[in-house]
Parts: sequence; structure tokens; C-alpha cells
Amino acid sequence: MKVFISGGCKNGKSSFAERAAQQLQADGKLYYIATMIPCDQEDHNRITRHRQARAGKGFITLEQPTQVHHVLEQSDYANGTYLLDSVTALMLNEMYPMNASQPDAEAPKRICHDLSQLMAKAKNVVLVSDYIYADEGHYPAYTEDYRRALAMVDRHLAAECDTVVEVTACQTIYYKGEKI
Amino acid sequence: MILIIGGAYQGKLDYAKAQYQLSPSDILDCAQLPPDATPTLNQRCIYHYEAYLELCMKQGVEPRTTFEADQIVIIEDVSCGVVPMDAHLRAWREVCGKIASALARQADSVVRIFCGLPLALKTASKDSTI
Repeated sequence: MKVFISGGCKNGKSSFAERAAQQLQADGKLYYIATMIPCDQEDHNRITRHRQARAGKGFITLEQPTQVHHVLEQSDYANGTYLLDSVTALMLNEMYPMNASQPDAEAPKRICHDLSQLMAKAKNVVLVSDYIYADEGHYPAYTEDYRRALAMVDRHLAAECDTVVEVTACQTIYYKGEKI
Repeated sequence: MILIIGGAYQGKLDYAKAQYQLSPSDILDCAQLPPDATPTLNQRCIYHYEAYLELCMKQGVEPRTTFEADQIVIIEDVSCGVVPMDAHLRAWREVCGKIASALARQADSVVRIFCGLPLALKTASKDSTI
């Protein structure tokens, strides 16, 4: 099963996503695709904390901040359940590579392609994105380009996934598919 | 009137086009209007109604807020961010919220689009308007 989750920040998306992945796991392995590129000690501490928290829940961590389909080579995908939290971070890494002067305009298309490939091969995939589309906007072009690109990727993923759910205040609103 | 709401880039117009077989001449894109435009909003589908409200506020004219039964009004939800520093944007955001609520009361159906997928908020058989 392929699940797409979005919603505002601190509404319970990650907790719901972890639970969904654990439920789908059955007798297969449970993988967490870690997308964060640490920049300082604070980031490293956060990663250590999150790793410890996840290990207790049975997740195997796969570090893959870009080119996400490469997780297939490091895991038992035919029977595996993958949690990607978040599409937002992946997009940031792909669209604004370190030391690049320009955003990579091909990034959205590439992410759609990479994630479609992952979804085609893996047994279960749970994707978490962020709903950043309902404020007053009027952003500088740099930010607006990112917002538009993430929305395009979200829509592609929502169309491909079996279940699409919005999480708000730890409540779920289903737009498509079987409830979890 | 049918009201379609949702955040930016969620596929609101694509949904309307598919659902109501709209041709390009049926659609007025208010985000493309010049600053001195005085649209009457008689087209079947009014897209970026929030931009029309911004235009009316800049011109100091009253916006059109009632529509015919077969019209489709698409408004972007701009209500969920931090209160804008700019006084005009602040006022506009509030006007958008108030008028969207008034339109929803008037509408026969209200649909929210989320990542390209529709959710019926109000239908003939289900009206939970506050």
C-alpha cells in the first residue's frame, strides 16, 4: 500500500506516519529514509535523538538525502515498508544543492520519477509532506518557486498513492482510499 | 453557485475544468487582470476570486459577492499564515475570509481541493455551515 500524508506542522503527521508504517509492515522489514543533511552540532544531536527513538520502534535507518530510489539497492524492497519523512526536506536537498548558485529546476520532475520508481518496487511506502499553501503568499520568487514545485510533486504523489490523508490536530481527513 | 476553495497550486482549476467541461472562454482569471480593470464577473467560472478582491480594494470599489446558480467561483485559501506585516495584505486577508464564508453560505455546494483531490464540504444533502 502507498500512503500520502500531508498537513500543517506539529499536527501529528509524523506520529501517524510511523504508526501507519508499523501497521503495514506485517512480516517485512521497516525502513526509515532519513533525508536530513546535518549542518552543525545541533543537527547531529537531533539526528542521534531521532535515530534512538526510531530504533525502539523497529525502524532501520537508510541515509538518503537525495536520489531516493537508491534505497532500493540497500534494502529488501519486495517485502519492505518505507517511511519517507519528509518530501519537503527531500525537495529542499534536490532543488538547492550545497554550493550551487541556482536552484535545480529539474528537481521536481526527478523527485516524481525517483519516488514513482520506489513506489513501483516497494511493498509499502508512506510519504509525509507539508501543506504550505494556505497563507497569504506574496513570497519572493525564490520561495514561491519552491512552494509551486512542492505542490506539483505532492499532486503527483497523491494521484499515485492508494490512500491520501490530511492530518490536522492529530485528526485524519481521508481524500482517497482505505483508512488506516 | 459552486464554490471551490483550497490552497495555492492544489489543482482547483483543473478540478473545475474536468468536472464542469469548461472551455477557455468560460474562465475569467482575475490574477491576470490589469490594475484598472472593472470586470463584471459574468463568466461561468471566476478563477482567483481572491485576486479580484485585492483589485477591488486597491480601486476602492465594492466587489461583486452574489452569483448565478450555474456559476463556479474559485478562491484560494490565504487564511492560514502569520498575520502579514503589511496593513493592506492584512486587510485583504480578512476580506477574503469573510467573503469566502459569505459565498459558502450562498453556495449550493462547496468543495475543498487538497493535493488535487476534492472533498465535498457542503452538498444538497449535507450543509454544516456554521
